[in-house]
Amino acid sequence: MKRRRKTEEFRLHLLVCAGTGCVANHAFDIKEELQKEIARKKLSDEIGVVTTGCQGFCERGPIVIVQPDGIFYQRMKKKDIPHLVEEHLLKGRPVKELMYIPSPREAPVPKMMDIEFFKHQRLIILRNRGRLDPENIDEYIGFNGYQALEIALTRMTPERIIKEVKASGLRGRGGAGFPTGMKWDLCRREPGRIKYIICNGDEGDPGAFMDRSVLEADPHSVIEGMTIGARAISVHKGFVYVRSEYPLAVKRLKIALSQAEEYGLLGKDILGTNFDFDIEVVQGAGAFVCGEETALIASIEGKVGRPRQRPPYPSEKGLWGKPTNINNVETWANVPMIISRGAKWFSSIGTKTSKGTKIFSLVGKINNTGLVEVPMGITMREIIYDIGGGIPQGKEFKAVQTGGPSGGCIPKNMLDLPIDYESLTQAGSMMGSGGMIVMDEDTCMVDVARYFLNFTQEESCGKCPPCRMGTKHMVYTLDRKTKGKGREGDIQFLESIAENVKLSSLCGLGQTAPHPVLTTLRYFRDEYEAHIKEKRCPALVCKDLISYVIDDKLCGGCTVCAKNCPSDAISGEPKKIHTIDQQKCTKCGICITVCPPKFNAVKKVSPAVK
Amino acid sequence: MMRITINGKKCTARYGETVLQVAQRSGIRIPTLCHHKDLSPYGGCRLCIVDMKGKQTPLTACTLTAEDGMVIKTDTPRLRKLRRSTLQLILSEHPSACLICEREKDCDNFQECIKKSAVTFGCKSCPQNNKCELQDLVRDMDIKDLHFEFRYRNLETQRDDPFFDRDYNLCVLCGRCIRACHEIRHAHTLEFHHRGPKTLVGTAFDLPHLESGCQFCGACVDICPTGALRDRFSRYDGPPERTVKTTCMLCSIGCAVDLNVSNGKITCSTPHKDQICARGRFAIAPIVNHPRRITKPLMKKRDGVIEVEWDEALECVSQKLREHRNRTGFLFSPQLTVEAAENIYALGGSLSAKLAMPFLSNVPPRPLALSEIKGKAAMIIVNTDMVGDYSVLLLTLRRKMKDRATFIVIDAFARPSDRFADTVLKPNPGTEQKIVDVLCGPGRFPKESGISAAEIELAQRLVKGKKVYVLYDPSNSVIEKSSKSCKTFPLFSQPNALRISRMGFHCTHEEMLTSKNIDCLYLVGVAPKLERKYGTVIVQDCFLPDFDFDVFLPAATFAETDGQMVDIEDRTKRVRRAIEPIGRAMPDDMIVEAIARAMDLRLTKKSGKRKIVTKRATLRKTNRAYPLRLIVRENAYTYRGKTLSAILRGFDRLRHDRSAWINENTAKKFGLRDGARATIIGRRTSFIMPVKISSYLPQSTVLVFDHPSARRLKNEPVRLECTKS
Ligand SMILES: Cc1cc2nc3c(=O)[nH]c(=O)nc-3n(C[C@H](O)[C@H](O)[C@H](O)COP(=O)(O)O)c2cc1C
Ligand code: SF4
Ligand code: SF4
Ligand code: SF4
Ligand code: SF4
Ligand code: FES
Repeated sequence: MKRRRKTEEFRLHLLVCAGTGCVANHAFDIKEELQKEIARKKLSDEIGVVTTGCQGFCERGPIVIVQPDGIFYQRMKKKDIPHLVEEHLLKGRPVKELMYIPSPREAPVPKMMDIEFFKHQRLIILRNRGRLDPENIDEYIGFNGYQALEIALTRMTPERIIKEVKASGLRGRGGAGFPTGMKWDLCRREPGRIKYIICNGDEGDPGAFMDRSVLEADPHSVIEGMTIGARAISVHKGFVYVRSEYPLAVKRLKIALSQAEEYGLLGKDILGTNFDFDIEVVQGAGAFVCGEETALIASIEGKVGRPRQRPPYPSEKGLWGKPTNINNVETWANVPMIISRGAKWFSSIGTKTSKGTKIFSLVGKINNTGLVEVPMGITMREIIYDIGGGIPQGKEFKAVQTGGPSGGCIPKNMLDLPIDYESLTQAGSMMGSGGMIVMDEDTCMVDVARYFLNFTQEESCGKCPPCRMGTKHMVYTLDRKTKGKGREGDIQFLESIAENVKLSSLCGLGQTAPHPVLTTLRYFRDEYEAHIKEKRCPALVCKDLISYVIDDKLCGGCTVCAKNCPSDAISGEPKKIHTIDQQKCTKCGICITVCPPKFNAVKKVSPAVK
Repeated sequence: MMRITINGKKCTARYGETVLQVAQRSGIRIPTLCHHKDLSPYGGCRLCIVDMKGKQTPLTACTLTAEDGMVIKTDTPRLRKLRRSTLQLILSEHPSACLICEREKDCDNFQECIKKSAVTFGCKSCPQNNKCELQDLVRDMDIKDLHFEFRYRNLETQRDDPFFDRDYNLCVLCGRCIRACHEIRHAHTLEFHHRGPKTLVGTAFDLPHLESGCQFCGACVDICPTGALRDRFSRYDGPPERTVKTTCMLCSIGCAVDLNVSNGKITCSTPHKDQICARGRFAIAPIVNHPRRITKPLMKKRDGVIEVEWDEALECVSQKLREHRNRTGFLFSPQLTVEAAENIYALGGSLSAKLAMPFLSNVPPRPLALSEIKGKAAMIIVNTDMVGDYSVLLLTLRRKMKDRATFIVIDAFARPSDRFADTVLKPNPGTEQKIVDVLCGPGRFPKESGISAAEIELAQRLVKGKKVYVLYDPSNSVIEKSSKSCKTFPLFSQPNALRISRMGFHCTHEEMLTSKNIDCLYLVGVAPKLERKYGTVIVQDCFLPDFDFDVFLPAATFAETDGQMVDIEDRTKRVRRAIEPIGRAMPDDMIVEAIARAMDLRLTKKSGKRKIVTKRATLRKTNRAYPLRLIVRENAYTYRGKTLSAILRGFDRLRHDRSAWINENTAKKFGLRDGARATIIGRRTSFIMPVKISSYLPQSTVLVFDHPSARRLKNEPVRLECTKS
């Protein structure tokens, strides 16, 4: 066995976040520089530098945390490092300038756990995020890793494991929220000697990176969860299907697998209990629809990733026709905690129907974008305002899209909705895999619906007409509206196609694709009507429905706009009021940005002026 | 037995049946499009949706397995609405102007679209008009107008392949062609490409079918519910007025085909129930209706060849036969009905004339005991193009063994299409028997075969403990059984082999053509190479021969003939005429009867003198002057002595079987390019052929499909010379 440097040997640890956001902001350069500087100061024996998985606060990357003090440094630059090492590491004086400052008027917050973004989170799945090196199994074991596996394998029968998972109330985190224990039980009861389990890490939703973060930050928790599940269902072969765009996740997973095998925690005769289990990593085919379980199975089988009609469900006829249990990455990662801390503890978190925590990826018009893990039942307001820090530039919140491109838009008056599977479904959206896209007042809901629908339309596998053509016609209609060609009756037309697509499509993709349209129609119907009847875009977004005009009361005649207009559409002389020739204007919007703030004379108006 | 309720009606369901099957059996109609009884459930078109008690969302009946106690509704207002809407969506990507035109009927009367709408978009110009399942659905669901903007894909019709065109503008993406190709034919030629509304059916990398492993069986064409795939020959013939079930006589399998007849013309031939091959699907109608077919008697007179009346032709023939009597030689094709062969025997017998054996090989045929083959067995295929020549047999074998079969191909000329086999061995020609020996019984490692020990071991492992059947092409090699657990069957690609060989022969073709005792040749459906002048040459055929003759008697094709054929299993099958012979052609048996009548002979059935003697082929060594070996393989793509490729261009492109096949190195050595004309020179004769270069061929060999001149050089060493054109 290879000797790894033990964690306890150092006085201080610097945890450099190596999540995707931070890496994109040169986290590895920071790490290298830190190591160099520490060596220069001859501190290499006292201070260790490790990389960790995503800390979640991607907005503020690159992030370095000093442990055990828990000091949180953010937006690190290479040039800050000598100062930091000198001050904090050598002299013990934390550096204020590098700490998190919520807003210009507030004081810096030194400790991670005092930052609003982290304060409201509850880490179960991401318990190890940012505190261990995902490429080192010893650290995982150091934080009680693989204890649950030992309990499950040596002290519990498979039935007992399933009972525990059922009692915990854990539901699938991949979308539909099917009770996990029940799913395992179904698969276990299916006759046949050969069965499989699959971990679904396809994560095709744009903007979602929950699963990636779990796989990158804590791959062992997924492996441990799968091994426990394998024992419960009596399976000896598992697959992790990882999206092909996640090479780091694949790398870390593979390292983790070989380490687990080395330690006898995977492979033959696990922990001497005579139980064999193997995990294979499969790289995805790169299509959104491959995340759908039957398509994913086809893809692992080497076929084209297209869904097929269920029933039969994978638990009856799955991979190569054998009973197969498929769960999401996050679902699997919950399992070890349920086993080690008990179903009772787990079910004490969350709401009546939805237990535990859920990871959301917070993106869009929000101050703190990033990855957050929160208990079920938390309100949208808490997530957006307390954790997310509200909407930038003091703008008004308008809606949040949950559940990825095929989820729905939840409006402002539902901000106090406690989030769980049922409440989201009732609101016309869904939990999905946990994407949250926040929209501010400058968002046109018709345009948003078109945007999401266009995504699903392109990602439809093309097998069934309701999804293949229904979504296409919905996009046509929406497109028409944003171009000012909306017709009377379009809304009813949209509703009727939406109903067909929802009810007749083969797989979840088609069945959920109309959600953005249906929810925006439900909550923002007036915007649709404005588009159709008045040819007006209330949010001033749809290019064909707006015009740029110069307010003659405000225009100072500075000529800046006229000089900058690329299409020579603005006429006017110095000190005189300028006007925009709507015939020539291409609506590029340059004039509005160049008009000096003291005049602020260029305005967008809708409907367009002739 | 399970009980399920459909629309309040109690139905019984068998284990494993789908709700759709139960409904259809119980006379309840559920609209379908992507479903086909011979294919696996797909659930793509969403038209067969039904409501199940206890389920909120509708389910597709074609994929739903019936379970005891299920309560199903197939016809609620909600389902009707959803179905109509789905069909509307399908029509939005399918040209459908004519489908809903209220003046549709008028078009038939005026032979033109009365609305002057673009005719390319409508049904009137679609080959599937009146056969199309979409038309049926539109009628059944009473769709009167279109809800959605029509989205024309604007694709070019693909016409580069033989036999069928593909216009994917009409495709509704039901996937039936793809499933047929994969599940029924195991050809894996077609696949879906792209995603979403851009989804299309096509071959890998959009290559032509010719380069995609297509067998041109037409299964996809016949299963397509729309006009997207269309048989080029019959595309505008509409649905047949009637079909006549007959037996295809183009090979020894004898598939049941339906001859489609419209306006007294055979428009095409389609599989009766089961599968057929490219010949049965795409050769029959074009042969019958071929523009070069001769349907009137001809005679050579002083001023050339002229048309004559049957009486005159018969008179002349009977006079000539009377004249030559036992100095007459009969050569005939096995592709005649049994009755015709018997009559020829009788006529020959009463004249004491000589009859030649019509096969390339001299191995006695044996019935293929298909009924014996079942379960786990190993099939060793020697020197046979299973996919090209015996695709239907291969499908039968697979089915019999429920896909548990092991296939081993032993063939120096193994083709890319042989990848169906578990292993392919490419031994040096002439060593096949040794490999069979070492695989099935006592035998030593055949070093001279050029096969490595590891490959042999792998093959040995594959056959171990299984019953072994060896199927081989007898035209080159004779494979004898080497142990009790192994049976060998020579495969004769021509029909009637078993029946004719029982009647016996006097000599082989070669012997007849070199015999000094023959003055008069009577040729029925054969086209040999005549090396010398004869007193009289009588030809009874469908196409003109390329040598001089005295009398030409126009024969009917098997599609215009009643009679019998004997297949590879020695089963007798009925051949039925679908139409009266074209022009003044006559069925072969009747022509012979007419001759006998004209000669006042009574036709008595009499056997020939000689039986077939098995002769092992001896391969002559190659040498400096003749460094290549000529291998002549039987050509299974012939009709009455002519290769199909000589008559139909499509087959020429598919088969290239009138070329000499060599590999790249040989081509380089003799300075030949693909398609160049080469003279193939042996010690006894030489002939000219274009060459076809292919990488899968072995070194130092030239492969030629049965060809009159090549027969004389079979297994001999030859050399090539580039022919200046
Ligand atoms: C279009 C589509 C995409 C999906 N993508 C994913 C995905 O990326 N990851 C995932 O875990 N589940 C995805 N699912 C859900 C899976 O089909 C399946 O329900 C899930 O993996 C089951 O795991 P769970 O029970 O743990 O939720 C998708 C479903 C659909 C219809
Ligand atoms: S609903 Fe869409 S993605 Fe799903 S099978 Fe149908 S076409 Fe494919
Ligand atoms: S003709 Fe036969 S082999 Fe060729 S694509 Fe169609 S089904 Fe497949
Ligand atoms: S070509 Fe015909 S059979 Fe094939 S998918 Fe299209 S409509 Fe269906
Ligand atoms: S396999 Fe033989 S009998 Fe069958 S269709 Fe083809 S040529 Fe005709
Ligand atoms: S026939 Fe059932 S979905 Fe097409």
